[in-house]
Amino acid sequence: MLEVKHLTKIYEDGTVALRDVSFTVEDGEFLVVIGLSGSGKSTLLRCINRLIEPTEGQIIWNGIDITAADPAQLREIRRQIGMIFQQFNLVKRSSVLTNVLAGRLGYVNPWASLLHRFPKEDIEMAMQALERVGIADQAHKRADELSGGQQQRVGIARALMQQPKMILADEPVASLDPVLAHSILGYLEQLNQEEGITVICSLHFLDLVQRYATKVIGLRDGRIVYRGTREDIRRMTDEEFKEIYGEEAVRVSVGPREGGA
Amino acid sequence: MATRTIQREKLPSLVPPPVAGIASLIIPGLGQVLARETRRGLLLFGSLVSITGLMVWRIYDLAHLEPGPLAMLRKAIARRPVFVVPMLIGIVALWLWNAWDAYRQAQPDVKGGAGIFVLVIVLFFTLGWQIGEIDLYKLGSELPDAWRPLSQVLWPWPAAVEREEEILSAGADILVPCDDNPPPPPEEVPGQPYLVATPTCGELSELGENNQIIPGTTLKLVGRGFAPNTETKIWWVDPLGNEFVVRQSGEYVVFQTDDTGSFEIELIMPYRLIPPSAAGPQIHRVEARQVVGTGPARPSEPLRISIARMIETIFLGMMATIFGIFFSIPISFLAAKNLMSGSWLTLAVYYFTRTILNIVRSIEPLIWAIIAVVVVGLGPFAGILALTIHSIAALGKLYSEAIESIDPGPIEAIQATGANRLQTIVYAVIPQMIPPFVSFSIYRWDINVRMSTVIGLVGGGGIGFVLIQYIKLLDYRAAGIAVWFIAITVAILDYVSAEIRQRFV
Repeated sequence: MLEVKHLTKIYEDGTVALRDVSFTVEDGEFLVVIGLSGSGKSTLLRCINRLIEPTEGQIIWNGIDITAADPAQLREIRRQIGMIFQQFNLVKRSSVLTNVLAGRLGYVNPWASLLHRFPKEDIEMAMQALERVGIADQAHKRADELSGGQQQRVGIARALMQQPKMILADEPVASLDPVLAHSILGYLEQLNQEEGITVICSLHFLDLVQRYATKVIGLRDGRIVYRGTREDIRRMTDEEFKEIYGEEAVRVSVGPREGGA
Repeated sequence: MATRTIQREKLPSLVPPPVAGIASLIIPGLGQVLARETRRGLLLFGSLVSITGLMVWRIYDLAHLEPGPLAMLRKAIARRPVFVVPMLIGIVALWLWNAWDAYRQAQPDVKGGAGIFVLVIVLFFTLGWQIGEIDLYKLGSELPDAWRPLSQVLWPWPAAVEREEEILSAGADILVPCDDNPPPPPEEVPGQPYLVATPTCGELSELGENNQIIPGTTLKLVGRGFAPNTETKIWWVDPLGNEFVVRQSGEYVVFQTDDTGSFEIELIMPYRLIPPSAAGPQIHRVEARQVVGTGPARPSEPLRISIARMIETIFLGMMATIFGIFFSIPISFLAAKNLMSGSWLTLAVYYFTRTILNIVRSIEPLIWAIIAVVVVGLGPFAGILALTIHSIAALGKLYSEAIESIDPGPIEAIQATGANRLQTIVYAVIPQMIPPFVSFSIYRWDINVRMSTVIGLVGGGGIGFVLIQYIKLLDYRAAGIAVWFIAITVAILDYVSAEIRQRFV
């Protein structure tokens, strides 16, 4: 279980990204964070594995206080939390396989890894991960030779290598075509349902939220303005929608499912 | 106000148009300033003052020996009428135009008008033409004279090989003056060159009363057994053993032997000052000599030196590049803003490093070479030092910009896997930095080799060093060989570096 308590983040320039955010996520949940650009979604996700240092508040995961972890403990925690990014964040000039193997960096002997040496099992595991996301044949290409959808699958494979208990996905489909969006989210749903990996994912499109989320929180100006279950979001009214997204918001639909106007 | 433009509103003139015109006639641009066209006025003032000032300087330059300004002007016009007269007319025209322009600008609905600035540019261009001493006529007329050295530079390869040289010679004794017993012709030995002169005695040319030459006896020279089709010179050896190549009406007696190695020429016996104490019959000697290349062709000295120096140059560039890379990498981290913006102290280091790099980079390698030569003396080490210093500054800047432009995304992603700091650098930072680093380094090597050819001119070693020597010795063929090597090397390097950079970027 992940407990976020009174989380606040104020950047050095004075921008308040998160204000007193509290919520809990049960293991095996698919939590979707919605909100406008700049509402604090990315900051929230990055505070959970402390890529961004929270200003105040606590994050407790299965009894361990992430916010209080020293660097060694933090690495221990991070390696159990996979992360997927909007811009994929692959090392473009490295091979796909190297990018995937980078997911093992928290586990392997650090000195051997500096020489790019990985145990045989890890390499096999990487190939299996690529197999799982359907791009094993691309393993030896350079990462930037792949299409956007393929690159995001490499990102998932990298996260899989961490054998994560939780996956943080920051707008994983915002740079992709709608059709690809379902394919990528499909992988996440599969991991969530079959392996019980907790997924915390920020999304833009309400259709996708309705399709995949088991629980939803809505952020606006760094505050939680909406909490709902899967059922709640399916019955979401335009008022509630506008509450989160602002008065000028209009619902747009995406992908194969029909969306409201 | 009837302005149709969408630009800034025209402010009303402070003075009526005629006043503006007269103001500009007195001080150029003043009328425009009064008409609230301040920038135009200042521009015209600056242009007219500088053009007039430059013109005065040019006239002084042309006629500074004349006593007064008017005399100077007259002399300058006499010396360079095509330049001075149109310029003076142009300046007067510009002055009047400027007054008229002020008159116009002061009117309520008149704007712009760029014609006057066209005249300004034309006048500056004319001045530039004269100051730059551009002389297209000279370019055309001097070209034929320059053709011989130029052609040697363009095609120097006959000087690239040489052979062992041997002198073939044969001579005949000549008695001066004739007596009853002239010397017999030499004996002919088969297989040896042979020269016979008829007659074997005679009178030397002499100087007459009025310094005119009184020709001596004409000898008929027949040679056999020489190398065929080879340049042959006629030498004269006097009784004291002095040798010289004989001149006939001012030209050396030089000719080619025929296909059989024979020749037949006539020779007027040369003028020779004979001291009175040596009066009486003397034996002189006439010789025909050839310089013959024997043995296999081998690379000539210029070729060998050029190759050696070219190799030196390439390594000079390489060493400078390697040292440059070695020192510029740590410096580049200090000059990368994204790494150094942490505190005011690091930021101060950043600005300091940047400033030093910019200063060092703005000083040409040639200047650094001159400084280095003062410190370590002539030779390649001075060149290496100069290029290293410049490379550090240039690469430091390029590298630091590469560091500034790395994508933070992958760093974040690698950190998120639980990687430690070193792993993050190896997996996320270095892969992003290698391509620009390799690219810049290769490019720098390319530049350094090209530069090292120039560095040699001021004593920094390498091929430039011998090139400048050959040019000063007027040995254009040797210089041509050096130039060819530079051109070939630079072309190859250019190609190779482009190939490698393409692979890495």
